[in-house]
Amino acid sequence: MQLAYYPGCSLQQSSKLYDVQSRRIFSELGAELVEIEDWNCCGATSAGKVDDFMAMAMPARNIGIAEGAGFTEMVIPCSACYSRTLVAQQRIKDNAALAEEINSELAAPINGSLKVSSILEALEERIASGALKDRVVHKLTGLRPVCYYGCMLTRFPYAVPVPDDVENPQGMERVLGTLKIKTIDWNHKTSCCGASASVNDPETAHNLMAEIMKDAVARGANCVVTTCPMCQMNLDAQQEAFCLKHDIETRLPVFFITEIIGAAMDLPPAELQTDRHFIDGTTLLKELEQHEEKGK
Amino acid sequence: MTAPAMAINPNQTQPFLQQVMERSGQNLTACYQCRRCAAGCSVGDETDYFTPNLLIRMVVLGDRDQALSNQLVWKCVSCYTCGTRCPNDIQTARITETLKKMAKEEHLEPLQPKVAEFHDAFVRSGLRWGRVNEMEFMGAYEMKFALRKIKTREFGAIMDEIKTQARLGMEMTRLRRMHFGFLMAKGRKEIKALQRKSKQRATH
Ligand code: SF4
Ligand code: SF4
Repeated sequence: MQLAYYPGCSLQQSSKLYDVQSRRIFSELGAELVEIEDWNCCGATSAGKVDDFMAMAMPARNIGIAEGAGFTEMVIPCSACYSRTLVAQQRIKDNAALAEEINSELAAPINGSLKVSSILEALEERIASGALKDRVVHKLTGLRPVCYYGCMLTRFPYAVPVPDDVENPQGMERVLGTLKIKTIDWNHKTSCCGASASVNDPETAHNLMAEIMKDAVARGANCVVTTCPMCQMNLDAQQEAFCLKHDIETRLPVFFITEIIGAAMDLPPAELQTDRHFIDGTTLLKELEQHEEKGK
Repeated sequence: MTAPAMAINPNQTQPFLQQVMERSGQNLTACYQCRRCAAGCSVGDETDYFTPNLLIRMVVLGDRDQALSNQLVWKCVSCYTCGTRCPNDIQTARITETLKKMAKEEHLEPLQPKVAEFHDAFVRSGLRWGRVNEMEFMGAYEMKFALRKIKTREFGAIMDEIKTQARLGMEMTRLRRMHFGFLMAKGRKEIKALQRKSKQRATH
């Protein structure tokens, strides 16, 4: 089966590993992610602060391309891209004049038939079909993750159908649960990491991330799992800095959910590029595997 | 600390409020000051007690100057927590985003210039190439910052910024998370046409 795939700019650059992992995991689960032709930037969280019309128009072009190519579902791993695309789709659906204005400039106008899915929604479809459970090789006993959703998977600036519980989402817990991994309940699963503030207002972002980190550590987590490349980059690349500033001694690897699924499926870490983290995660995964070997 | 005083300006009230309501799509007059938004605001500790409900009251009372220039407008991280909890569905992030744009249109100096420079550089890169190039847009962003600091002769600030960014850049290069290629979408023409439309809309 084929699914339209929108990688977005960050998955082509600093979070390329997430792109590689997503394609690989889905192909293992029997679904090919097909990158849509000549997609453009969705405008991310910035467009809405600079130009509202473009914040609708940019994702619209991508939706049109996917629909024009005959796809019925498009998977978007990046939370920001997912949120912007979902919101634009709904706003255009609700406003015929806006739809007309945008469509008249598009080579592939939108018709509203596409389902826009986060990576979690698409993974959950694979749980329902049993595909995920069938592929588990390693139990990863001893992995104690907190699932970190951030803002953009459940909170939207416009009335869209929300795919999970707004304040206490469970999608990642369900996916990891299928792999028999015990997740840790905590308070900060939907807290904000500060997003671009890590660049333009680091003081604020560091304060926010320190709170998230303190809770994860206090609950005994040994890693963080996320689906958002911005959350991943922030918590990973800035961790040393905000932990030093806030007297936090522990460091935690911040995994994409695809890396954990890959490890459970026994896919080679080199192929998944798991070594591209600021806070090393390969050692923990290797230890868990060795531990499992000994137990056999 | 106390909450900031507000200036009531009856002449300003109607047009300003109307404008903010229309552009943000938020019904500010529905706010009954329950402060649920304030209780959950992600940047509540960073804004000098300037909470979403206070911003709304300020717009309603027509205190244009403070509404356009306060820590909440410039520190809001658009986490949408306030809006999903508001019993009246008021999404304050849409209001702060609107006020940022209005401040820019009036050529007001942003309270957090780096925030404005960041989003401008990002969108410009995305519109120009069809895709955002992290290196190019970060370069443009850092350039804006440096130029501003040169004007005020704050050379230490420039050096600190360079040091932080260089350290991150080197780490990223080591981890192969720095991308040296260049991304572009052929459909830039469509995006340019839409952008022209957006400008026309703004002037009408
Ligand atoms: S939660 Fe809504 S109604 Fe309550 S104070 Fe905030 S904006 Fe007003
Ligand atoms: S969207 Fe802005 S105002 Fe609302 S809770 Fe988040 S940071 Fe605060």
